[in-house]
Formats: sequence, C-alpha cells, structure tokens
Amino acid sequence: MFGNLITNFGEAVAVLLFVIGFKDLLLQKNLIKKIVGLNFMDSGIYLFLAEKGYIAGRVAPIVTDGVTEVTKYINPVPSGLVLTGIVVSVSSTALMLALTIRLYERYHTLNMDEISTIIKKGEIE
Amino acid sequence: MINFNMILIASFLFPLLSGVLLFAIKEQADRKVTFAYTGLSLVITGVLNMILLFADSAEVKLITLMNGIDIVFRLDTLGKYFMGIVSLVWILAGFFSYTYMKHEKNEKRYFAYYLIVFGVLNGLGAAGNLITMYAFYEFMTLSSFPLVLHNQKKESVMAALKYLFYSFFGAYMALFGLFFMCRYCRTLDFIPGGVIDQVAMSGHETLVLVCICLMIMGFSVKAGMFPLHAWLPAAHPVAPAPASAALSGIIVKGGVLAILRVIFYIAGPEIIRGTFIQYLLLTLSLVTVFMGSMLAYREKVLKKRLAYSTVSQLSYILFGIALLNPAGLTGSLLHMAAHAFIKCALFLSAGAIIFNTGCTRVDELRGIGKKMPGVIWGYTIVSLGLIGIPPTGGFISKWYLASGALSSGIKGFSYAGPIVLLISALLTAGYLLPVTINGFFPGDDYDYENHKTIKTSFYMIMPIIVLAILSVLIGMFPNGLTEFIGSITGEIFNTGF
Amino acid sequence: MEIMRNFPCISIILCMCSAIVSSALPGKWARRLNVTIVLAVITLSGGTLVYSLAKGYETVYKMGRFPAPWGNEIRFGVLEAIMALFFSGILLLSVLGGSKKLKEDIDNFKENLYFVLLDLLLSSLLALIYTNDLFTAYVFVEICTIAACGLIMASERGRAIEAATRYMIYAQIGSGLLLFGLCILYDITGHLLMSNIKTQVIILASSGQYHIPLVISIVFIGTGLAIKSALFPFHAWLPDSYGYSPVPSAAILSSLVSKGYIFLLLKIFYRVFGLNIIQESHLFNILLIFGLAGMIFGSVSAILEQDIRRMIAFSSVAQIGYIYMGFGMGIRSGMVAAVFHIISHAASKSLLFISSAGLTDASGKNKTFKDLTGAAYRNKIAGAAFTTGALSMVGVPLFSGFISKLLFAKAAFETNAMTMVATLVCLAISTILNAVYFLKTVARIYTPATTEYETIRFKDNIPFGVACILFIILNLILGLASDPLVEFINRGLMMFS
Repeated sequence: MFGNLITNFGEAVAVLLFVIGFKDLLLQKNLIKKIVGLNFMDSGIYLFLAEKGYIAGRVAPIVTDGVTEVTKYINPVPSGLVLTGIVVSVSSTALMLALTIRLYERYHTLNMDEISTIIKKGEIE
Repeated sequence: MINFNMILIASFLFPLLSGVLLFAIKEQADRKVTFAYTGLSLVITGVLNMILLFADSAEVKLITLMNGIDIVFRLDTLGKYFMGIVSLVWILAGFFSYTYMKHEKNEKRYFAYYLIVFGVLNGLGAAGNLITMYAFYEFMTLSSFPLVLHNQKKESVMAALKYLFYSFFGAYMALFGLFFMCRYCRTLDFIPGGVIDQVAMSGHETLVLVCICLMIMGFSVKAGMFPLHAWLPAAHPVAPAPASAALSGIIVKGGVLAILRVIFYIAGPEIIRGTFIQYLLLTLSLVTVFMGSMLAYREKVLKKRLAYSTVSQLSYILFGIALLNPAGLTGSLLHMAAHAFIKCALFLSAGAIIFNTGCTRVDELRGIGKKMPGVIWGYTIVSLGLIGIPPTGGFISKWYLASGALSSGIKGFSYAGPIVLLISALLTAGYLLPVTINGFFPGDDYDYENHKTIKTSFYMIMPIIVLAILSVLIGMFPNGLTEFIGSITGEIFNTGF
Repeated sequence: MEIMRNFPCISIILCMCSAIVSSALPGKWARRLNVTIVLAVITLSGGTLVYSLAKGYETVYKMGRFPAPWGNEIRFGVLEAIMALFFSGILLLSVLGGSKKLKEDIDNFKENLYFVLLDLLLSSLLALIYTNDLFTAYVFVEICTIAACGLIMASERGRAIEAATRYMIYAQIGSGLLLFGLCILYDITGHLLMSNIKTQVIILASSGQYHIPLVISIVFIGTGLAIKSALFPFHAWLPDSYGYSPVPSAAILSSLVSKGYIFLLLKIFYRVFGLNIIQESHLFNILLIFGLAGMIFGSVSAILEQDIRRMIAFSSVAQIGYIYMGFGMGIRSGMVAAVFHIISHAASKSLLFISSAGLTDASGKNKTFKDLTGAAYRNKIAGAAFTTGALSMVGVPLFSGFISKLLFAKAAFETNAMTMVATLVCLAISTILNAVYFLKTVARIYTPATTEYETIRFKDNIPFGVACILFIILNLILGLASDPLVEFINRGLMMFS
C-alpha cells in the first residue's frame, strides 16, 4: 500500500493539490482565493497527467540527434492534453478575474457572501 | 344512412369550436346577438346528441398519442345516457342564462366557456378509453374553472382555486392508478364487465386493488365524496346561478361517470365485490349522505344549502354504485338523471330569487311564494322529488336504491343503508321545505300591505317548469327509462360472469 | 447522399466561423448572420437525420482522415441528429422571441458580442453532441460554460454578474471533477476515443483490474456533469442565473446548455462504460435518489417563490430531477423517457421563459406575482403561451409533458419494486406540486386587476408573437404525435449500444 504511494509520489502530490484546490474553490469566501483554488485544482490535474505520461529515463519526443526509435521518447499525448488544458484554464481564470473586477468595482468587496447580502438588501442595483 | 361517426365527432367538436369562435368575435353591442349565437349552438349540439341516442354504435379513433395509447371515442349506452342528460340540462340552464346574465359582466366570456364545457362533457361521455376519459376529465376541470370565478371577486377566485386544486389532486391520484392500469389491463378500452388481465394480476391482487381504489377516490373528489368534498360548497355558490346549476347538476356527474367507468368498465364488479374497496365506498358514501344533509340543514345561505345538498345526494348515487348489483346500479343511474334535473331546477330557482329580490339567505325568503309563485311552485315540486315523495323521480330512484341495498346481502350495510337514506330524506325535507312553507305561509305578522307580485322573465321560469315536469315525468312513467338503464345494467352484469 | 456524412462537421465549423466573423460585424448584421447560420444548421441536422435513418447504423467520421487511435472522430446516429435538430430549432425560436427584449437589455454596440457567444454556444453544443473523443468533449464543455457565462451576464447588471460568478464557480468545480475523471480513465485505458476506451473498459471490468480507479472515474465524471447540469443539490447557481439574465439567455440556458451536458453524460453511459458497468458502480442509484429529491425540492421551492422568472427556474431544478430519475432507473426505457423529457422540457421551458418576458413587459417590467395580476389580458399571446407551457409542465393530456410522464411511468414498471414505488410516488407528488404553482400563476395572470399597465398587442412585437405560436405548435405536436419521435429515440439508443 505505502510502497505504491512512494513510487507514485508524483501522483499523490497531484491528488493532494487537486483536493486543496477543490476545497478552496468550494469553501473560500474570498473570490481571489477561490480563483487561486481553481488554479491549484487545474495544476493538480496537469501534474497528474504529466506524471502519467512520463516514463523514467526517456526524453521529450523532439528529434535532435537523429534518434527516431519510439523507445527513447515519452508518451507525447498527455503533454498535448496538458497544453490544451492550460489554454482552457487560462481562459476560464481570465473570465473569473474579469467578473471579480466587475463585482469589486460595484460592491467594493471580494467576499461572495457580503455581495449576496448587499444585493438582497437592494442597496446597489 | 347517417354517418354516426361524424356526428359523434361533431357533438363535442362543434360546441368546442363555436365557443372558441365566440372568443374571436368582437363584443356585440346587442347582447341578443351573442345569445342567439349561443342558443343556436346549444340547440344544434342538443340535436346532434339526440341523433346519437338513436345510433347503434359509433367509434372514432382520433389520434395516437403513443404506442398503444390512442384518443378514441366510442358510443355506448352509458355514454348515450350521460350525453342525453347533459344536453337537456345544459340547454335549459343556457336559456335561463339569457335573463340572469344581464346583471353580470363579461357575458361573452361566460357563454364561450359555457359552450366549451358542453363540448368537453360530450367528449367525456363519448370517450372510449381511460386515457381519453382522463384527458376530457382534466379539460372539464380547466374549462369549468372560468365559470366558477366568473364575477372575479376575491371570494370566488379563492373558491375557484380551491376547486382547481382539489380536482387536480383527485385527477392525479387517478392518474397514478392509471399508470398501473396500463400494466394490469388487457386494454384500456371500456368494455362492460372489466378488462383486468387475470394472468398479469395474479400475485399482485393487493396492488391492483389499491390502484383501483386510488382511481375511485381520485374521481370521487369531483363527486364531492367525504373527505374531499370541501371544494364543492365553496365553489358552487359563488358561480353565477345558471353556472352553479350546471356545475351542481352535471359537472359533478362527470366524476360519477368516471367512477362508473372505472368500476364497471375497467375493473369489473366481480373484482371489487367483497373487497375493502366496496366497504370503503359504502361507508364513505353513507357518511357523506348523512353529513351532507346535516350540513345543509344547518346552512343559512340558500345556494350553499343547495351545494351541501348536492354533496349528500351524489353519495346516494355512489352508494348505489358501491352495492354492485343491478338494482342498486339502476337506482344510481335513475338518481343521476333525477338529481341532475332537480338540482338544476333548485339552483335556477335560487338564481331567479337572487336576480329578482337580491335575497340570498333562507330567512330573508319569507313570503317569497306570494311574490314569485311560479318559481316557488317549481321549487316545491322538485323539492318533493328530491325528498322522494311519489310520484316524483326521486321516489323511484330511492326505491331502487333501497331495494338494491336490501337484496345485496352485505352484512350491516343492507340495513344501515336504507335507514341512513331514510334519515337523510327527512333531513332533506327539513332543509328544502322551509322555503316553501315560509314562502307561501309567511305568518300573520307578514307585511301584506307592501306585498307585490314580481313578474319573472319567461326565460327564467320556463327552464324551471320544464325541469320540474321532467322530474315528475321520470317518476310517473319510469318504464322507458328503466328499460334503457336495464340495457346498461344487463351489459355490465351479464358479461361479468 | 454520401455528402451528407460531412454535415455534422460542417455545421460545427460553420458556427465557429460565424462566431469569428460576427465579432467584426455590427450588431444587426451579427444577428442576421446568426439566424442564417442557425437555419443552415437546422437544415444540415435534418439532412443528418435523414442520412442516419436511411443508413440504419452509426457513421464514423474521421477528422483529417487520421485513423482510429490517434485521430479525432465524429460519430453520429439518429439520436445525435435529433438532438442537433431540436437544439438549433429551440435556439432559433428563443432568439426570435427574445430579440426585442435583448435590445433593451444590452448596449447597442455590444450586441454583436452577444451573437458571437450564441454562435460559440451552438458550435460547442453541436460538438458535444457529435464528438467521439472525450478530451474534445471536455474542451467544448469549457467553451460552452464560458459562452453561457457570457450570456448570463450580458445585461451587465449587478445581480447578473453575481449570478454569472456563482455559475462559473460551480461550473469550474464540475469541470475539475470531469477532467480528473477523464484523466484517470485515460490512464487506465490509454485511449481518448470513446469506442476504444469502451473495448479497454470491458477488458478491465472482466479481469477485475483497476477496479477502484474505474469506479472513481465513473463517479467523478457523473458528479462533474451532474453539477454542471444543476442536479439537486448542486443547483444553487441556477435560480439567479435564470432569473436575472436576459430572457433569450435564460431560455437557452435552461433548455439547451444543461441538456447538452446531460446528453454528454448519456453518451458516456452508453459509449464509454456501458450500462452494466455503471450499474455495478451504483452511480444510477445515486442519480436516482438525487433526481427524486430534486423533483420534490425544486417544486417546493418554486411554490414558495414570489418572482415568476425564479419560479420557472426552480421548476427547471425539478424537471432536471425527472431526467436524472429516468437515467437512474438504469434501463433502456428509462433512458428513452429521459431523452424524450430533455426534448419536451426544452420545448416547454423555453416557451415559459419567453412568454414570462411578455407578461412582465405588460406589467411594468415587474416580476412579482402581485404586479402580474391580469397580465394575460394585457398581452394575450404571452398569456396563451404561458398557459400552454404551464399545462404541458403540469402534464395535462395532449401536451408534451403528459407523454413524458407516461413514458417515465411505463419505464418505472420495468424496474424493481423499490424503485418503482419510489419513482411513481415522487412522480405523483411532484406533479401535484407542479400543478399548484403553475396553475396558481395561470389563475393569477388571468385575474383582472385594477392597476393600469400598458397593453401589448400582437403587432407591437411580431417576432415574439410568431415565436410563441411556433412554440405552442411544437408543444402540441410533441403531445399529440409523439410516436415517431419516441421511435427515433429508441432507434438512436439502439445504435448507441
């Protein structure tokens, strides 16, 4: 059991990161902290993917010294997925930040609960 | 050769469409135009229904909702009977509306919905399977809803909502049972004697019985059976008088028709006989008979008193149904017709009184017989009918009900039934006749000086008198009717074995 | 004929290109382009449907002609084509009905951006429907989320932005779980194409290898998509997002966006895991329980709600519960009912949102029930449309909602006794609760009021009227002639497995 954990410590760290990020996104009141949590969560997943794609002792699949055997290189698909995923998470982070700026300009707070109370009271439309 | 299928379709589509068309027509300056249009549509529909009475059979499959579930219309004897009663009452109450609606607003809307409900009721009578009947049952609730809240005062809107929610609650209870019936029936078509699939049912008897019970209870909401009767005394009095006459005379019979269909055409009397359903229905209906009469006796507002009386009288019908024997069923069906005519006439008289004097409470009606003799004579005749004094219609139906109960041999009920019916008849006399007695004999302290006779419009007095005559005719010459009913009961109880 | 196999790919690409082009166009032209493109997509989807029906089995379309394990694939059958057809049709009608309202809500120079988002949304929905690659699906889920977020906050009011933020937070939680689930699945199978994964999953399941990661990935994917489609108890974002966004957005979000995720989940059930493996993981039971809870809870919240838009939104929570209940039964007929409900709910819910906008317009833009009193008289077509939608939701026969309820009930009979009773009881309770709040609203909008708001006639907003009429017709068609659609859904699901 723990043997597996040690050999797969990369994945373990990834899952830990995911859980931390998940918890922050869900439970933090502060919007910026929520966004940080979102990035933690996504990074955790990318680390997990990268770990899974990496094969010890091999290099990235870029042909440099004329070596073309498959066995010399790691699996390139997870790396591709990570890149795509980063693009996606960057855009959603940007959108979240933009929304946060809008909310802050209007309500002068980053706390989601406070914003809700202000709206419920109907002080600022 | 007349194509009866087309007439069957026309009998419910024509009033529906003409009602919808009435919405589209601009409000007429002369109310006679609106009324002439409505009257003509009513009469044409009535004629169509009369033609159908002579049809042997007619069956139309309109559309297929989904695999195995069709919208089917089929004419059978029970449907004919129902449609016949509906047409008579609906046309007469329609004529009454002509004068009465003068002092209400939004006449056009009233007449439009009046026509639409007529169409829906014909559809309900002609429905050939459970799904079609359920659909028209829902439409009946929805389309009669605007009639209840017609004057749009807060009180009537609340009453109408109460009506709507009670009815829908009942309808969904029935729908819940209907879902199960899809599984345990050979077909959902109405076949006298029932369509339960014995093979599919074996091992699930309790479940099937519970579902049948749910359906009966659900439809009985419309028939005002205890414990879900509270909407009826609230909703019927607030409607305009001709609408309450139609509601109390006919719409509630829609619930009775649905129960008849479930018991005799889907479940079959043999499945229900001797089970908890029969005892439950017998008990509840007797409780309602007694309770309705008591409440009516204590009620001071005339229209409410009549509504409570409807609660009580409908349970006479349900009691007869629950006996599950030919005599009881004959009594029920007779009472269906008798009560429709009588209650319609009673509400119309109440309407005529309100229209002409503005009195709503019973104690305000002293000397009313001197002012409006025609109306009160009509009222008295039908009251005697409802109490069950020979030779009126009520007597015959109650006779059959009592003999059905006595011959049923159900322990306890065969004697308890007639006794409760008798007590209730006395109570009926107690709550209906004071109007007549105080009306004609107001006592010595009555102010004879200011007395003057009120001239009642022909359109008002005619329907009351016609209905009164009809109710007496049923009692005096019941043979034609009992023969017709005999063909219904024969169908049901012969094929069941 | 063979050219039709390119249609799905063409329709996705068309939408994407039009999004890019629209960003440079003025608002009016962007709208015209959007309408043209959606019409084109409808035609193309129709073609795809015809092609798939004629072919009789699924078509695999290799993007860029790269062969299976490496290339990206589109895979489509009858069901995908139907979904694409309905989604694009409902999108068109929603935009048509809300076009005038949109101009009031959005700054003039930003109008084109709204249509950019709409085009993007449609392209991502189409891609979700057609794709056979899980990671592509994830990417388009994200695009869909971002576009939907833009649609929610298009009016740039405080509440809308707050709602959009809340939506984004929940959506990101869902995406995170979905992505993690996909990654685990990729790790244990080594593939991204659904069909390849399925072969591997079957091998893994039979050998018992990687059992825990498999279950975890099923649960993660299921939960992720459930959160994104607002299954109870993850619905906290929904009432605000639907309540305060521009009307077409609310209509599109409720009828398409959440349904897109649900459809993806359905595809994953069939194409990736197969029903047996999901059954073993008990995901179906979880979905069933939450679906049933959602049905009740959503309806109760809707009853307590005072704001008409939020009431409709809470009703969506209940209806999504219905869909998950269908999934949770874990059998073919449950899935058929769920898919039919996706379509029928999309048709009636978007109608309700659009017509509620017409009603609020006729009540001085107020959304509380107090102000809406009598709104149906001030905007007749909106009143009729709302009533139709409400009747369909309540499940009155002849409307689409009744058919889905029948299908659910029929499906329930094929499950075990516990599930059957729970399902049917919840179905009945939820139907009654539905009736309470929808019919209450209908009665409210048809109660005349003394407050004088301006009347809106048909010719004041022709697109709105046309959209309402088309929606009403769509609902009636679904209710009256559901047979072919159910048959297509059946065939489509057959192609799935």
